[in-house]
Amino acid sequence: MERISQRDESALAELYDRYAGMLTSVLNRIMRDAQAAEEILQDVFYQLWRAPERFDASRGSLPAWLVVICRNRAISRLRKKNPAAGDELVDDMVPLRFHLETEVSQQQMLGRVRGALESLPGEQRAAVELAYFEGMTHSEIAARTGDPLGTVKTRLRTAIQTLKRTLNA
Amino acid sequence: MSAHPSREEDFDLYALGALDADECGPFGEHLAACPECAAKLTEAKGRIALLAFAAASVAPASGAKQRLMARIDADAAAAQLPAKASVRSEERGVGFSGWWAAALVPATAVLAIATVVLWQEKNDLDKQIAALRNSVTTEQEQLSNSTKLANLIGSSDTVTVNLAQRPGMPKGVAHVMYNMKMKMLMYDGELEAAPAGKSYQLWVVPMNGNPVSAGVFQPVPGQTDHWMMAMPEGLVPKAFAVTIEPAGGMAQPTGPEVLLGAAS
Repeated sequence: MERISQRDESALAELYDRYAGMLTSVLNRIMRDAQAAEEILQDVFYQLWRAPERFDASRGSLPAWLVVICRNRAISRLRKKNPAAGDELVDDMVPLRFHLETEVSQQQMLGRVRGALESLPGEQRAAVELAYFEGMTHSEIAARTGDPLGTVKTRLRTAIQTLKRTLNA
Repeated sequence: MSAHPSREEDFDLYALGALDADECGPFGEHLAACPECAAKLTEAKGRIALLAFAAASVAPASGAKQRLMARIDADAAAAQLPAKASVRSEERGVGFSGWWAAALVPATAVLAIATVVLWQEKNDLDKQIAALRNSVTTEQEQLSNSTKLANLIGSSDTVTVNLAQRPGMPKGVAHVMYNMKMKMLMYDGELEAAPAGKSYQLWVVPMNGNPVSAGVFQPVPGQTDHWMMAMPEGLVPKAFAVTIEPAGGMAQPTGPEVLLGAAS
């Protein structure tokens, strides 16, 4: 990031090589539209280039920050298609206990997260995916799946407990 | 200040955005006044961010990086011109006074028009330069890929694995070439179109542990699918397989094997 602050384009290119795959995957999953996903990815990297001081390395992890920004923007864009949907989400620093700076570390984390999700019962996993990739609240998930609100809340809460335990292990 | 959330997972649910407005509001008010809970929420955001890895792996679009770099180049070039124009006009302005200024109004207007025309021409040139740079970068990437492919094919350490069609599965033929020293893997094959709503997915089956995805693809009949990728670090392949999976791919194989080949 220091090199980007010094207007070193090769540093931005390196950063792109390192994280574009990870971010493209999540953007495509949310948007289900490759062109829209690329637009968001381009905007995020472009804005990172224009204002690198927005990222504070002392307070957070760059890959986690980029993931949060991309997810927030993608969901925000999806929600604009739905007039009844909520507000813009806020971009802020996100610390991370894990390193995601290399392709290997990203592959390892990928295996770990997918393993954790696959260990969940199908309904719990589906609820987590609707919340994360479609930005749905408890009520919205209940409306989508036709399940009682209380059931959805219990599923998500139990899923979060399991994921937290697995990912913190 | 309202009470702390009663359950630890409330922080993760809040970070996930799953809480409804009636739950979110009081929580948000509490967070604004409680540094301890704000810190827990920040930690939860990090955990929730990891769910991004649940998405099936998709590579960035071809040329996306070049488009980003061209945008940045064009931006930098556009930013330089007004700055220079401004410096020059300030230099010329020294010593101007009285009727000279009035006499020069028409000339200034002409200069302004000329500046706009020149600026537009410069912008057009910037765009052409950016397009050319984009094209050169793409060609350099293609050349680099061709060199990597030639090195992979030419290396005595490269292992070729023929993937055989499994009985009753869609027709196809493919092979994988991999090189543990170069840490490279190349897939080359032809397959019938995937069933509706499905994709094919290539897997590296390691000696130990679970299969690792090496690409999700949708063949076009009559065309060859071909790609290279880095071998995941430390992975020793036992076999390679192509399976039918839900469109977009899965984290682990769930569908039938279409092609299979043992690594020697």
